[in-house]
Amino acid sequence: MRNLLNFLARYNNLILFLLFEGIALYLVVTGNNYHNSRVIRGVRGITTVIEEKISNTKRYLNLHEINTNLAMENVTLRNSIERIIKKENQLFFSVSDSIRQQQYIYTTGKIVNNSVNKQKNFFTLSKGKKQGVNIDMAVVSPEGVAGIIVGSSDNFSVGMSLLNIDFRLSCRMKSRGYFGSLTWDGKDYRYAVLNEIPQHVTVNVGDTIETTSFSAIFPEGIMVGTVSDFEKTGGDFYKIRILLSTDFKKLNYISIIGNLKKTEQQDLEKMYQ
Amino acid sequence: MINSILRYTIIFIVLILLQVLFFNNIQFSGYVNPYVYIMLILLLPVEISPWILLFISFFTGLTVDFFSGTAGMHAGATVAAGFVRPYILRYISPHDGYEPGATPSMQIYGFRWFLTYTVLIVIVHHLALFYLEVFRFADFFRTLFRVLLSSVFSVTFILLAENYRKGR
Repeated sequence: MRNLLNFLARYNNLILFLLFEGIALYLVVTGNNYHNSRVIRGVRGITTVIEEKISNTKRYLNLHEINTNLAMENVTLRNSIERIIKKENQLFFSVSDSIRQQQYIYTTGKIVNNSVNKQKNFFTLSKGKKQGVNIDMAVVSPEGVAGIIVGSSDNFSVGMSLLNIDFRLSCRMKSRGYFGSLTWDGKDYRYAVLNEIPQHVTVNVGDTIETTSFSAIFPEGIMVGTVSDFEKTGGDFYKIRILLSTDFKKLNYISIIGNLKKTEQQDLEKMYQ
Repeated sequence: MINSILRYTIIFIVLILLQVLFFNNIQFSGYVNPYVYIMLILLLPVEISPWILLFISFFTGLTVDFFSGTAGMHAGATVAAGFVRPYILRYISPHDGYEPGATPSMQIYGFRWFLTYTVLIVIVHHLALFYLEVFRFADFFRTLFRVLLSSVFSVTFILLAENYRKGR
């Protein structure tokens, strides 16, 4: 007993150090995992108020660019409305089917916290469950894909950024229709890597890459980026570097997209797997 | 005693605000992330007992963690810095030792002493922090490069701040 006390007295600082490091390590392991993003969310609840203030200031400084982007987006939307109205007029449909025309539901939101310099980046959005934002909704910026919602509280939600080494996205080449899987290699926030495009396909620098609807999260045809360069790897596939069209460093106003027919698609697919 | 607690509380608040509002938002190229809040650990009195130092380190790191949305990484790194501080202070102690009640400062011990002291502790802190963040040894040298580059910036800002403190 006496020896034990002597031991404790002699190494008390070392023991305290190890204890604190143990706690810190525990926090790192449990808190920074994709599946445990709830821990971060809990912690973030305390600080989101301040982060919102910071983000308000930043937003003010970026107004000019945002206005330009919004104007451009408006033009695109007006064009698509035009097209849709023409198409709709020629169709017959059952009156009782209220979501017949609409598979995807869009809401806007803004980023209140974001990072690009970690290996696993997340962002926080200013909308949550009360505004209808839920897990597995898609997040897109006016320029292209941004991420996926992984958790939501009443008024905020946390999204996994495309700049996260755990992120996977099914993409295809717009010109040829071949699809592959997009990941981020954790190196540069402007580039991601597209795998699984077979080598017999002709790939050109500058080809557009867009989303597919395979995951039932993203609508198909959303811009992801353009081919920046590509190399043939050992297997039968290309390794294609994609210049992302979204600039994650100034991500600010985004759209959140929910798929109204997601459960229907997934249930049906599950029956045959 | 009360006076110095108050003084360190103010330093704590100023450094945390500076870190959270300003330095966390500097992200050029993903390689440079200065962490200046570690200056609090540098400025604590020389004779502070190691266990109080460890407590303060842990608490400071945890606060920064809260604001950065990272769990435990800053706490781990700051505790490591707090743990090595007494050894570093002993290693670089001046010939006639430290005066009772002294605090490490550029004014008393000179620029070169303070530079060595800052560089050593900042490197320990950044090493722990960046490797905890990456959490694997792939890309070992890229992380090391990030550590060194960020350390240069942190040290520069800390020296500037210390110089400003000295001037007042």
